Amino acid sequence: MTGVVRLQNIGKRYGPDADILHDVSMELDAGGFYFLSGLSGAGKTTLLKIIYLAETPSRGIVTLFDTDASLADRETHTALRRRIGIVFQDFRLVDHLSVRDNVALPLRIARAPEREIRENVPELLSWMGLEGKLDLRPATLSGGEQQRVAIARAIVRRPDLLIADEPTANVDGDIAMLLVRVFERINKLGTTVLIATHDVAFARQFAHRRYHLDQGALTLASEGATA
Amino acid sequence: MIGAPRLSLLPHQLRLDLPLRQDESARFLPWIIALMVYFAAMGGVGLISLGEALSRWDASLAGTLTLQIPPDTSQPRIDMALGALRQTKGVVSARLLPPEETANLLQPWLGNNVAIADLPLPQLIDVRVDPRMTIAYTMLRSQLASVIPGSRLDNSPSWVGGARDFALRIEDVITAGVAAIAALIITIIIFTARIGLAIHRSVIELLHLLGAQDAYIARQFQIHALSLGLRGGFIGAIVAALTVAFLEPAAHMLALPVPIAAYGIFDWRVWLLLIAACLMAGGIAMVTARITVLRQLARMP
Repeated sequence: MTGVVRLQNIGKRYGPDADILHDVSMELDAGGFYFLSGLSGAGKTTLLKIIYLAETPSRGIVTLFDTDASLADRETHTALRRRIGIVFQDFRLVDHLSVRDNVALPLRIARAPEREIRENVPELLSWMGLEGKLDLRPATLSGGEQQRVAIARAIVRRPDLLIADEPTANVDGDIAMLLVRVFERINKLGTTVLIATHDVAFARQFAHRRYHLDQGALTLASEGATA
Repeated sequence: MIGAPRLSLLPHQLRLDLPLRQDESARFLPWIIALMVYFAAMGGVGLISLGEALSRWDASLAGTLTLQIPPDTSQPRIDMALGALRQTKGVVSARLLPPEETANLLQPWLGNNVAIADLPLPQLIDVRVDPRMTIAYTMLRSQLASVIPGSRLDNSPSWVGGARDFALRIEDVITAGVAAIAALIITIIIFTARIGLAIHRSVIELLHLLGAQDAYIARQFQIHALSLGLRGGFIGAIVAALTVAFLEPAAHMLALPVPIAAYGIFDWRVWLLLIAACLMAGGIAMVTARITVLRQLARMP
């Protein structure tokens, strides 16, 4: 399999404080489905930020799509980011834009033709069960609907890697299960999926490879069956 | 209809992902720019007027000399001086200005209410010379002084020389003022752009994470700044045009020796200046915003 993410001996420290991550090494292959479990404060979000290039590690090497991110210039970082879809824990929807324009944002940034945007965005939102919500502002939607908008925005450009930070944190069991099924459908289309969750028991229910982060140290907790 | 495709009137390139139009700066900045464009435009109108006045004076003075003689000079002495002037090589003509013509020259400066005829004014001899010829002024002056003691030969009337120097200084002051206004616009746009970056930092970070290049984000700020600059520039230019139209009759009334009295709002240069001021305001705002934002973004991860 081709490597999508390769972390080698990653360490992260903010100021004089203790390390948040110690010697983290991890490999995500193309088409794989992965869980990253760990209690709150274990360093999951920091690790995800390093993968999606929002943070630089204090030590170690980050390789994305066979490109050493630490050696890459600003333009290359932008190109790498365009291959990654992110579902943020707090969704980070743009309040003054409609649902349609929020989802269209990655396409517009990539200078996709407006005709393509007009066709694809409503279709995707319909697939996510959000037909009829296209022109609403995110603030008028329920938490679950906002989350689906955030997922739609993350996958609209058909990324090679989809990262979801605690997507099941604020939903009940059935919805959480449904969300994972959505991610599995996206994964079947060829996208590598990495889901971070604090709920170890929940992640164990799935036959996917799982990494576990405990006080900044990463271990491979489960080989899984589909990775 | 909910769910129906909504066509935006704005082309893709002009759409703002950042809510810059909701910022406080979007409300006050056009008015500040309008005020500055107004002052700059009025300064420009002043420069046009002064430049025109100077060139008129220069044109009228080319080939002209003035001989001032004391008011009580006898007619025979005046005739002798006129004869000496007319015999001088390079002098085309020489004539004594009648008192009413001298009074007309002084009227714009002394006003209508002064009885010029009662003033002990010097008499003036208007001398036309061939500009291509070189005149021996030192010799001519001493010759005239021997005929009429106390006479004074000027290459140009003294008030014109003083006014010319004064006008040139005013030109420098206006130019410096316009440059200061441009610098002020740049400074305000820099601060506004920086504030905008700080306010919208989270959305900017999001755009970066979604793969936006710095130029994409900078374009949002520059479109916004261009819009504010043009709006402010337009308002300032319109008010400046109204001011010129308002000043025109006043300039006529005072008989000011500047072209605002001659052409006023119908002077094409005034319109060119107002349009240029408006476009410059937009251009300066746009370029300043772009450079500022790109520099700031380069510091972000």
